Amino acid sequence: MPVLQLKALTRTFGAFKAVDNVDLLIRDGEFVSLLGPSGCGKTTTLRMIAGFTDPTAGSIEVDGRVLSSASGSLPPEKRGMSMIFQSYAIWPNMTVGQNVGFGLEIRKIPADQAKKRIAEVLDVVQMGHLADRYPAELSGGQQQRVALARAIVVNPAVLLLDEPLSNLDANLREEMRSEIRRLHEALKITTVYVTHDQAEAMATSDRIAVMNKGRIEQVDAPYIVYSRPKTRFVAGFIGRTNFITAKREAGAVRFDGFAIPADRFSDLPGIADLTFSLRPQSLKLERTAATINGRLPIAGQVTKRVFLGEHWDYTFQPVNSGLHLKVAAAPSDVFEVGSSAVLALDPALLVAIE
Amino acid sequence: MTDTTIGQDRGQASIQVPRPAAEQSRTFDWTLLVWLLFAAILVLIVVNPILRLVWESVATEDGGLTLDNYVKAYSRTRYWQALINTVVMGLGTAALAAVLAVPLAWACVRTDMPGRGFVRLSVLAAFIIPPYLSAVGWVLLAGPNSGWLNKVWMALTGAPHGIFNIYSLAGLITIMGLHLFFFIFVFTSSALELVSSEMEDAANVLGAGPVKTAFKITLPLITPAIIGGLIIIFLQSIALFGVPAIIAIPARYPVVTTQLTEFFSNNRVDLAAAYALPLLLITMSLLGLQRWMLARKGFTVVGGKGGERRLVKLGAWRWVMFGYALLVSVLAVFMPLTVLIQAAFSKAWGRGFAFDNLTLSHVNFILFEHQGAVPALVRSILYAGTAAFAALALALVIAYIVKRNLLKGGQVLAFLCMAPFVIPGIILAIGFYAAYAPPPLALAGTALIIIVAFTTRLLPIAYQNSVAGLSSIHVEMEEAVRILGGGRWLAVRRVVAPLLKRSLVGAWILIFVPACQELSTAIFLSGPKNRVLSVLIFDFSEEGKFEQLAVLGGLLLIITVIIVAIGFRIVGRDFMLRRQ
Amino acid sequence: MKFTRKITRRQFGLGAAATSAGIVLPSAARADLSADAEKALYEAAKADSEVTWYDAHHHVELAELYGKAFNTKYPGVKVNVVRTTANIAYQRVAQEIKAGSLQCDVLSSTDISHSMDLKTKGLLEKFTPANAATVIPALQNADPDGFFHVTSTGTIAVTYNSGKVKPVDVPKKWTDLVDPKWKDQVSVGHPGFSGYVSIWVYEMDRLYGWQYFEKLKANNPQIGRSIQDTLTMLRSGERMVAAGSTSTAFESKVKGEPIDVAYQEDGTIVVVAPSCILKGAKKPNAAKLFMEFMSSPAASQIAVDAFGESIHAAIKPKAGLPLDQLKTIIAKPPLLLKAQPELKEKWRETFGV
Repeated sequence: MPVLQLKALTRTFGAFKAVDNVDLLIRDGEFVSLLGPSGCGKTTTLRMIAGFTDPTAGSIEVDGRVLSSASGSLPPEKRGMSMIFQSYAIWPNMTVGQNVGFGLEIRKIPADQAKKRIAEVLDVVQMGHLADRYPAELSGGQQQRVALARAIVVNPAVLLLDEPLSNLDANLREEMRSEIRRLHEALKITTVYVTHDQAEAMATSDRIAVMNKGRIEQVDAPYIVYSRPKTRFVAGFIGRTNFITAKREAGAVRFDGFAIPADRFSDLPGIADLTFSLRPQSLKLERTAATINGRLPIAGQVTKRVFLGEHWDYTFQPVNSGLHLKVAAAPSDVFEVGSSAVLALDPALLVAIE
Repeated sequence: MTDTTIGQDRGQASIQVPRPAAEQSRTFDWTLLVWLLFAAILVLIVVNPILRLVWESVATEDGGLTLDNYVKAYSRTRYWQALINTVVMGLGTAALAAVLAVPLAWACVRTDMPGRGFVRLSVLAAFIIPPYLSAVGWVLLAGPNSGWLNKVWMALTGAPHGIFNIYSLAGLITIMGLHLFFFIFVFTSSALELVSSEMEDAANVLGAGPVKTAFKITLPLITPAIIGGLIIIFLQSIALFGVPAIIAIPARYPVVTTQLTEFFSNNRVDLAAAYALPLLLITMSLLGLQRWMLARKGFTVVGGKGGERRLVKLGAWRWVMFGYALLVSVLAVFMPLTVLIQAAFSKAWGRGFAFDNLTLSHVNFILFEHQGAVPALVRSILYAGTAAFAALALALVIAYIVKRNLLKGGQVLAFLCMAPFVIPGIILAIGFYAAYAPPPLALAGTALIIIVAFTTRLLPIAYQNSVAGLSSIHVEMEEAVRILGGGRWLAVRRVVAPLLKRSLVGAWILIFVPACQELSTAIFLSGPKNRVLSVLIFDFSEEGKFEQLAVLGGLLLIITVIIVAIGFRIVGRDFMLRRQ
Repeated sequence: MKFTRKITRRQFGLGAAATSAGIVLPSAARADLSADAEKALYEAAKADSEVTWYDAHHHVELAELYGKAFNTKYPGVKVNVVRTTANIAYQRVAQEIKAGSLQCDVLSSTDISHSMDLKTKGLLEKFTPANAATVIPALQNADPDGFFHVTSTGTIAVTYNSGKVKPVDVPKKWTDLVDPKWKDQVSVGHPGFSGYVSIWVYEMDRLYGWQYFEKLKANNPQIGRSIQDTLTMLRSGERMVAAGSTSTAFESKVKGEPIDVAYQEDGTIVVVAPSCILKGAKKPNAAKLFMEFMSSPAASQIAVDAFGESIHAAIKPKAGLPLDQLKTIIAKPPLLLKAQPELKEKWRETFGV
């Protein structure tokens, strides 16, 4: 079964390295997102997988068969893949049914079978009743469903999605991303999904590959990418976080204003200068140290606050420290600016990053 | 949401969809060869004639190099005078065209002036009447003593002389301006269509009145379009051949094109080439300037699209505006047409509108007695039609190569496609003549040389239309075909071609019409067996056979109108009035 | 080196021989094309099937009439009529030769210098039509070597709008045309375009010097391209007087238009217009047949029917006076050829176009 493997994949445009030495193995039936800011190389990577762009170096293999390499590439039409485009690329000169049936026609599926298959797939994406419509008569969400149907109808070896939801409004986007995940659950097609939206990536993916400046910084399951970011970029790009620097001392790690015994950390790199990522959500503000169980109490003061509806956004400054830590708190946890508080810190949630 | 029979597992679908056969070896993209072929054609029909032109200008008889021709071509004050005259004429034409077109464009796009559709049609009509034909019309209208306008003036005032003299710089400018103002109209209305009312509202809110808004907000926004139009008109007017030949010689106002004819008729192709090349440089630098201006950031209309546009209520002024529009239409279309029709059916046009002056003899002569007229008409249609197909096919392939980045150096091909735009027809003809008239090809006097020359001449229109058409088709439309297993050719056939169909019909007509009327290239490449209608008309004008000329011109116009009308039906009314 | 004389019909031929006009009287009149020879030539021409004729002699309709008459007389041999001005015809021929793709078989120019030039360059086919012997002797042997032959004559005189010009004002001499009273009322053609006009310019310069044209310029003439342009100007009333071709003027007059011709006391200018076969013509036999046709009385008849001049004594012009009753000026071709480039250039310098 298809295993999609990118080996040292590199693509340069002039002096610019769009994709820089990317290694990635995508397992059969797996849903992997390429997540990153615009210009990080994720779309170029996807287009190389599709065969629209040739790599400058490295290779792309499916089941050990080289599809792309610097010396040449199998054209897209020979790859047995499907793709959903940012613009949907629904052909306006064909009806919904003709759009969906196009891939079957190319595969010379007999008309009656094709018809049945088109109907099935359209039903899956809940577009069965609109088979005879022309794309111009459809809403954005409906066009997106047609694009989905058109891509999956041919039972592709690999399904590629290029920011498919970026042109939809927020509500529809949320609906469609669960729809995409639902289809994946049902069909188990090996899928590569490009997005800059971390929520989309989290909601849909088995694993997320976070890309930055042409490189993959981390590939992990969504919750690991969030909770154990490996790099400063990943920590900063996914969710909000506090970056704290510290120095390794004998038996302890010294932060600005406080120290934590080294044995309280889960894994600690053996270097002297450390940087940690600390999610605001993993911190808790208390009025007194007495209410803190099993966590380290750090005394300090609330210096700023913003109410965001779903939670408070406090800034906390430990005593005798220059640190300003962002802390998330439930709407009912009200602290006035300037009031004293105690920060409950679980050292296990301090993630050392590169 | 319910799961359906599509299956819980891939491969469990009720119908097995096979994957394309796995191919280990990479298939060679044969289409590359086709594209290379097209590139070669381009070199043949664009690059070579230009090179030959340059070569003629610097080559000596025995194959050496010399700048002698340049010295000779600019050795006389008369030759310089022609150059200066040409610039003056071009500037005047551009200025007049702006005065005619900008108010009309504004009135048609942004106001509630009555008869806007009619005005648009008139503007189009002014453009599809060949300028050499309207020149003849204007000779009949404003000949200093005999022109209808002067006769009326003399009758009304008892003055011994008329007040209009078409044989003058003003006459040249009037005829050209009334023909070419079409370009500014199109450019300006397209720009105005992008200016949303909100932009103007924003100024109104800040306390600016409608006049101030128009001058401070709207006008600056459309200025690049107007300047672009001015440049195009300047260049078109200095390249026109027919109008100066008919007007400038009697006006004793030599211009570059008449001077080129002189060189050419003395068989000094080398001098003609040397004299023409600076003109080519002027054209190129002006077009460069235009591109630079349009490319400047912040000077183009952005974000206007989708903005709501309300029509400005002119009140009583709308009739004033309509009056102006009507005046322009009458001057540009109705008056020249009326006198030409009168001439076509008159024993002698000078005798005026009288029953005893009516005759069908000219129609009869042209259609049934003149050996050359009907074949020339057929040739015009045939050549123009073929050239339109050829230009479009070539331009499409190249636009596709460029838009889809299929070949390295595609931009060079694009540049070559657009290059003929900067080459005035006469100069192109000289280049073609130098390149392909002699053996081994010996195409002088053949249909092929005219068809190819037309193709080259109109390649820029074809290319711009092709690019515009292809730009409207997102590349992902094709990629969607390819990722589903279709080749590039299938994508072109099933998706690109159907989506382009309408714009291609429009483009074909946009090429056919000017090709059918083309004179400045044809006149130099035309022999007995490939003489086209425009050349025949010109020959008649040389003899002052205005009545028969009017019949021929009428035939040409009828064909043009039929073709344009077909275009209207297929593509919609505005296709010729949009900026391509 | 021109001759200007009043001649009688009898003198016309003899006088010509005696002058230095370069037109030499044949020692003995030759026979015209015999029926047998014509038939043989016709058969040979049939193999060619067509002949292309660049014609600057005649106006459009007349050129077409010649074409039709030839086609009718010789079915199976089609003449392609390309009517154009002398200079354009010459220019096209020269370009065709340069391009190595000769289209033209027979060239009928109004500018004899073109034929001489082509002859000098060895670009003409030597051929003397048998019918050339039937032509008015003075017009025979325009080229002693037989490369080109006069097939048409035209006369240039003052033409005028008789509705506007009072009889007393009608110009009697060429110099009257430059009288300031005709300011803004004169129409002329352009020597750069028209062979007729270039001959007229040559003669005026010869008779009156270039100041003639300086004066003409002061009169602000309307400058057309061909000489026919002048008639258009007269017909329309745009201009009152012109240096024009008599034949089309008479044609207009007969049609009832207010046009008339005034022969000038200082000489009516006779343009002898030659035809020739190009060397390497693709249709040589058809070309020869066409040359015979153009030299035949039938061709003169066509000209005369259209108010043109005859080149056969027996065929009288339909309107106006025959040549032998006029004081005529016939230019000497070699001098004409030499003077022309300079005159054309002078004209352009003077008039700006």
